[in-house]
Amino acid sequence: MSDLTLPEATRHMGINWIGLGTIIRREWSRVWRVPVQAFLAPWISALMFIFIFGFVVGGNIRHIAGHRYVEFVLPGVLMLNIVNAAFLQSTSQIYFQRFLRYIEETLVAPLSYVEMIIGSLTMTIVRSVVTAVGILLIGMAFGATHMNNIFEFVFWIVAVSIIFGLLGIIIALWANNFEQLTMLNVFFIAPLSFVGGVFNTVSMLPPWLKWLAYANPFFYFINGLRDSMIGFDEGPRLLGYGVAFGLIAVLGGWTWRLFSIGYGLRE
Amino acid sequence: MTTTPAINIEHLRKAYRTGTVAVQDLSMQVQPGDFFGFLGPNGAGKSTTIHCITGIATVTSGKIEIFGIDAVKNYREARRMIGLSPQEFNVDTFATVTQIVDWMGGYFGMNAAQRKSRTDMLIQRFDLTQHAKKSFRELSGGLKRRVILARALVHDPKLLILDEPTAGVDVELRLDLWRYLQELNAEGKTILLTSHYLEEIERLCKTIAVIAGGKIVRQGPKQDFFTVPGGLEKAYLEATGHRADQFAVGAA
Repeated sequence: MSDLTLPEATRHMGINWIGLGTIIRREWSRVWRVPVQAFLAPWISALMFIFIFGFVVGGNIRHIAGHRYVEFVLPGVLMLNIVNAAFLQSTSQIYFQRFLRYIEETLVAPLSYVEMIIGSLTMTIVRSVVTAVGILLIGMAFGATHMNNIFEFVFWIVAVSIIFGLLGIIIALWANNFEQLTMLNVFFIAPLSFVGGVFNTVSMLPPWLKWLAYANPFFYFINGLRDSMIGFDEGPRLLGYGVAFGLIAVLGGWTWRLFSIGYGLRE
Repeated sequence: MTTTPAINIEHLRKAYRTGTVAVQDLSMQVQPGDFFGFLGPNGAGKSTTIHCITGIATVTSGKIEIFGIDAVKNYREARRMIGLSPQEFNVDTFATVTQIVDWMGGYFGMNAAQRKSRTDMLIQRFDLTQHAKKSFRELSGGLKRRVILARALVHDPKLLILDEPTAGVDVELRLDLWRYLQELNAEGKTILLTSHYLEEIERLCKTIAVIAGGKIVRQGPKQDFFTVPGGLEKAYLEATGHRADQFAVGAA
């Protein structure tokens, strides 16, 4: 009888690359079973936001910092959908594995916790990027074509995908039913993202509300993305990067810890 | 010269977060090449022990080694050698038969050519060819069980753990599976089998262990269970704290 062993190439640098790739392949296959929910829904939602707020309402609003309102609002709408795509991808990915128990397939395999987390996050980033590209094309159809700094743009898309991918994993490990799965989105993500400057500048807010904007991490995400697209920046840029890297470090460490103790994964 | 056991468990204890102690101070060894029957009533701790061996459950205390490799500290190396067919279906029910088997090969680091060859062979061996592109949820209970077995074998593990593999399957598949398992064992695979069918254990296994209340209450070569009239059934019932005549038809 042959005794199959992992080829050396698959363990390069101590990483089970094929195993990692298989997690991504499996998730890609799962997402493509629901393309309307995964991609078409955020694109239609973004189209409506851009049409109503950017085109209809925006037609009656003066330029902001030399940019048409549709160009101002596009980064916010983009960020709203990136956050949603990342959070939904990682919660559904982990929760369905737990719910149908096929998480056990990866638990019994020679995969490390880091490989499992990176596999999940990679697919989260892929879904966010596909969502972002679609929304950018919709924005272009409405004449919003500015791209001030492509590297900064990619940074914010990837960083926010990772942050909400990690948050989604933590929630999916904690949740014991679908109700709990949506709680964070309803009570935290949606309200904070709307007041984070999607439709307005901080200077439009009454003075007593400005402190709330600066205390809201969504403000830094939207502000960073807006700066990368139209060069409009209202906050301390370094603080924005600090918030992003800080959240990735804290949530990444927390997720790794939960995996290593088997929280929500192992009996 | 002593051989390294395929499974070496020392003082295993598993307590759940609820406080339930499913396994307490369990020690046992399975030798390489053995066909090991693991018997016990429902809730005795069979599946929990298997879950601790394979990494589905965390170990509260004790030691588990697979071919001499620590299954907790060096879990990646240990798991490479194990194929598991669990009692309950733990698959993405919307995935196709081919995907389920292929993905498992991928998790174990098999390249595309290896996966294709093994998946095709196992799909053919388990008579799943005409169902290969169907989703798992479209299959009958017996076909689902075959898929789970094919998945357990895709990486050609040295140790095969089968948790009630013939529960709910028809006679034809059961007989075919018995024949296949005997072939695999004859080729050198170590097999740990749990079952509620004593006939199955009697027919296939070389060594038997009985677990009750989270502890091994009897273990030995199969022939040791047949030294008294009543055979395995009587020995099993006595080991688990029952009298054989208590379950006789017509007993008051």
